[in-house]
Amino acid sequence: MADRRLEILRGAGFGRRSRLDEAGMFPMPAHARGNIRLEQPSDDELVAAVASGDEAACRALMDRHLTRILVLARRMLGNQADAEEVAQEVFLRVWTHADRWEPGQARFGTWLHRVATNLCLDRLRKNRPTDDIDEMPDLASGDPGPHRQLEQRELAARVDAALQALPERQRAAIVLSHYQGLGNLETADILGVTVEAVESLLSRARRQLRLSLATEKDDLLRSDKVSAS
Amino acid sequence: MRSEMTFKRLGEIVDAYGASPARWPEAERPAAEALLAVSAEARALVEEAGRFDALLDMAPAGVPSAALAGRLMAARPRPAAPSGRPVAPRRRATGILGALLETVWPYGSPAFPAGALAAALVLGLALGSTSNISLLQPETSVAAASGDQTGEGLIALAMADQAWPEEWMQ
Repeated sequence: MADRRLEILRGAGFGRRSRLDEAGMFPMPAHARGNIRLEQPSDDELVAAVASGDEAACRALMDRHLTRILVLARRMLGNQADAEEVAQEVFLRVWTHADRWEPGQARFGTWLHRVATNLCLDRLRKNRPTDDIDEMPDLASGDPGPHRQLEQRELAARVDAALQALPERQRAAIVLSHYQGLGNLETADILGVTVEAVESLLSRARRQLRLSLATEKDDLLRSDKVSAS
Repeated sequence: MRSEMTFKRLGEIVDAYGASPARWPEAERPAAEALLAVSAEARALVEEAGRFDALLDMAPAGVPSAALAGRLMAARPRPAAPSGRPVAPRRRATGILGALLETVWPYGSPAFPAGALAAALVLGLALGSTSNISLLQPETSVAAASGDQTGEGLIALAMADQAWPEEWMQ
């Protein structure tokens, strides 16, 4: 079964290059090479190929999902180092359990999000945050000024701090829904709650963020008006 | 499933999911978008939520480092190793002696256990001829040699020769 899927992958161009291509005799732009593939392999097909030890499938699965999982962890945990550790743990689990993955039982992307979210929540519970709204970084200056890039970084830091100050489950809900773009059913499934509970978590999270970021919202509006004029 | 959308319900949806209809509950999306099309008040509500969404979108995202990708590729599953050299079929023992040896030692060539046995024998003989090993210590030998010692005396002498760890006696 896995061998057949591997053949599908190879037929789709994964795991090998043509000899002409390797010899550089038939150079093709990336977009043209992409057109040759009839169909991208599904996540299930990639996972089956990963279980067979196919290097190209491992790389393809990482290309497809690693950044999204890292971004989820980064916004849940508030720092890059912890986010990389979580993303690494998620993919090591994929490598370990690939041979036991049952296609059709669940969406692979949802499973990845669930594992990553649970790992983040575990970390947050072990290291209860000491962040507080009052400890959020101060804006260097209220003037719009010429340093717009610096302002953007400061605003980003304030939004990040406000996000990190949310209770864990509210943060998870808004990260999954707003930042990862998952639907309410998928978010509820990952968090193990009802869709009504997801909506409640999201409402409370956004209300808290509005309070925390009231000043920043005004700053953003003001700088938008300045740049528009 | 809700068939019609009220302004109040749209407010709840926007409060929870933000301004983008793509994030709204799928079942309520068509009705909510229909309300947006006809209500300026609803559009103002969504526009205001859109500005807040833009602020939220400023949260840093991050990208995976090359080191992370490298570590993961290094730890990836490997193809199953190809099976080793074909094992040559074992030669069948021939004759009565061969059959007897195979019955006693069915695990392959009997040369190895036979060699080990011979080596142990030689080592034992060598040790026995070069070492002064006596079953009885000199004092015990003297005691045993004297015919007027009682049985109890011999036992006491033997016990006195043994060192008993103190913790055994407690």
